[in-house]
Amino acid sequence: MELYSPEGLRIDGRRWNELRKFECRINTHPNSSDGSSFIEQGNTKVICMVQGPMEPVLRSQSNPNQANIEISITIANFSTTERKKRLKNEKRLVELKATLERTFEQSVMCKLYPRTVIQVNIHVLAQDGGLLAGITNAITLGLIDAGIAMYDYVSSISAGLYDTTPLLDLNTLEENDMSTLTIGVIGKSEKLALLLLEDKMPLDRLESVLAIGIAGGHRIRDLMDEEVRRHGNLRLSKVNV
Amino acid sequence: MILSPAERSYLYDSLIQKPPIRPDSRSGHQFRPLEAKTAFLPSSNGSARIRLMDGSECIVSVKAKVVLKSQESSLIECDIDVSGNRDDSNFVSILKFNLTNLLCQNFPMDVLQLTSKYSYKLFIDCLVISHTSYPLTLLSLATYLALKTTRLPLLVSDVDDSEVEEQPTFSDDWDKSKYLKEMVSSNSKFQPPIFITLGVVGDNLLFDPSTEEEQVLENGLILSWYNNKVITPISNINLASNSNNSNFKGMDPILISKSLALLKKYCGEIVDALDGIIEHDDATEGGIF
Amino acid sequence: MSVISITRPTNVYDDEPSDIEMSDVEESGELKKESAGESIVTPGELVTDDPVWMKGHGTYFLHDQTYSSVAGSVSRVNRLLSVIPLRGRYQAETGDHVVGRITEVGPKRWKVDIGCKQDAVLMLGSVNLPGGVLRRKSESDELQMRNFLKEGDLLNAEVQSIFSNGSASLHTRSLKYGKLRNGIFLKVPSSLVVKSKNHSYNLPGNVSVIVGVNGYVWLSKSKQGASSTTSATTNKAQAAFDSSSSGYNPGQGSVSITRLEEESSWEIYSDKNESISNSVRHTITRYYNVIKALAFGELGITEQRIIMGYEASLAYEDVGSLIDKEAMESICQDVINSEKMRG
Repeated sequence: MELYSPEGLRIDGRRWNELRKFECRINTHPNSSDGSSFIEQGNTKVICMVQGPMEPVLRSQSNPNQANIEISITIANFSTTERKKRLKNEKRLVELKATLERTFEQSVMCKLYPRTVIQVNIHVLAQDGGLLAGITNAITLGLIDAGIAMYDYVSSISAGLYDTTPLLDLNTLEENDMSTLTIGVIGKSEKLALLLLEDKMPLDRLESVLAIGIAGGHRIRDLMDEEVRRHGNLRLSKVNV
Repeated sequence: MILSPAERSYLYDSLIQKPPIRPDSRSGHQFRPLEAKTAFLPSSNGSARIRLMDGSECIVSVKAKVVLKSQESSLIECDIDVSGNRDDSNFVSILKFNLTNLLCQNFPMDVLQLTSKYSYKLFIDCLVISHTSYPLTLLSLATYLALKTTRLPLLVSDVDDSEVEEQPTFSDDWDKSKYLKEMVSSNSKFQPPIFITLGVVGDNLLFDPSTEEEQVLENGLILSWYNNKVITPISNINLASNSNNSNFKGMDPILISKSLALLKKYCGEIVDALDGIIEHDDATEGGIF
Repeated sequence: MSVISITRPTNVYDDEPSDIEMSDVEESGELKKESAGESIVTPGELVTDDPVWMKGHGTYFLHDQTYSSVAGSVSRVNRLLSVIPLRGRYQAETGDHVVGRITEVGPKRWKVDIGCKQDAVLMLGSVNLPGGVLRRKSESDELQMRNFLKEGDLLNAEVQSIFSNGSASLHTRSLKYGKLRNGIFLKVPSSLVVKSKNHSYNLPGNVSVIVGVNGYVWLSKSKQGASSTTSATTNKAQAAFDSSSSGYNPGQGSVSITRLEEESSWEIYSDKNESISNSVRHTITRYYNVIKALAFGELGITEQRIIMGYEASLAYEDVGSLIDKEAMESICQDVINSEKMRG
């Protein structure tokens, strides 16, 4: 199987710097959450529901200086082609959760909401590569929908290195076969709120992978921003009637 | 959810009237309106999503796998995940036991047979994304829809493999796949079983009690409906699962026969409504939310 | 009547634009202009680089420039610049009339869920206790706090002040506030509640409603004869009071202290309902469904709209059919139409 043909085509027909289809919706669960979103990044589908900021259930969750962000991730048993029973305390999930909590504690203005907890529930319905990126984007939209103050969008995308060519937004097949990094870009800047690289990547190639990742992140930000504005303007027009 | 004593007594006094006065004025046998979408997960054999107006929502996927019959104890396996509840909690275990039990005992298993050695096994995974009232009915209605829209690939290899060692092979043309309902023998209809929860207040029986109503019920009943009749087991349960309900008490056995009559009268309509939504659902249209 | 109604999900916001185009071309043009003029800002967007603006909620300041921190519309009041988020939890303001539920009984205070980011606080000193307002609170009061209000109890109260950490402090030092009885509770999004002088109304059909600014609503049987007239007169008195005074006084426009003393018996903390007739119970469920319908249609909730919705709902003899989507939409349409007719 050839992941990248000499003509410059990938396994699903994309070029090296092309994103998969990215679709997102905001305010998908208005009656059961303070903020909600649904994203499809290629075949990866993620639901995000945000509750809060709210009074913590346990005293131990209360921090007098800032809000506590708690993220819980449920990966549906049916999310992969081969059904697999998943445990909530799987090591990989715990790590993912910690990574995300750290990312959003920096991007959300937590100081504004002392003694509260922001509960984020993630449901992964289908996964085809770019899991962390998909979840990050869904959380960004969910938090915006909940009206929670944050400095900027965190838009996330994965990128990998095939031989010497950087490839953007990998699917499962590509992800399994090459070293991959996931980044979270802050708004339109070139700053990163998140960087995860779990295997080796030659240092002299890192820059080119990051560059394509940041460009992809900006594109994702624009697509998310478009959806936020579309929904926001419709809401406003409704209020003004 | 905790109600104040004044709310509880107002609610109880309203529900015990004849006919009962429910907070949203539903009649005793009226369900809350539902929204449903089927066949929206392309990587599952069947799927459904069902949602109540208050935001309660459940997603069910059905996936089939080819197994050696001799190695499987059951051809149906259910798993339930309720957001905010641990997998090993009582609440989830009871839901899971109920649903598994219902489906394993009331399902035309012969449709899953492939050859004398091989068979399909169905994995039914339910995801309760949010819920206010007891989610069993919601789960079972979503499961019904998912099963009814389940498609299995067409077997192209020989059915009889008792003599020759042969792995079953399938047509890779998805258009040739068959719905479960088409595989049932022609003289019976494929209608998976469903659960109906009933609340008991005095002599009144309430379909689909809301979470507020659950707090003041005297008892709760779980009944199941399959092939146009009520089937066993019939069990009672305290539906107010996360708070203590001081009204909970024993109930008059006459109510059980009354509940059977109610189900006979109205379950046909529920099943028809579910079938109706499948017929009119167009998988290609719109997103899933 | 149908046992169950199952529909396919429709995205309200997807249908909207095509609907407008179909109904009236001219109108849709107008609408587009309006929405373009009031376009929203999103997190990280530069709002202004003019340093004269003071930075309010929903903004942050970096390198002499003011950015938005939420998705919402920009509000400029005097020199205060803020961004009002499209959605978000209720934010308490001093003077708001709210409905809340006790979540915790603590030392000398109750914690009350009013839908805010944090639970509000109701101090023992901010409630009327049996025996009149002027009596001292004693240690025995502290010990029997659960006899007055306990976990789960509903009350209506006024926001007295906001603490520096953002949580609200409540008081019930007026006869119109206090424990709630004789009815049912429902929630609507707080953004739909239109703030007004008065938030408790007597509705046709011997039913009263308190529409808390926080979106918590209490529907109940109206108080018997005498008190309903007094409430009317206090309203008038309050109106007069409000026009003559500027600024805020806690508990303004309430009944005189002497009467308060008379009525401050244990009865105000009773958990017993009065006897309520079935017709009133039915009317309450009708209002319940009407308010839910208004919330479904995202119409701002006012006394007038509740009454208009109620009148529109009378076309449905079976109140239970009001929970269906089409019925709710038609009620909202009726309300909008009758508002247009009245101008």
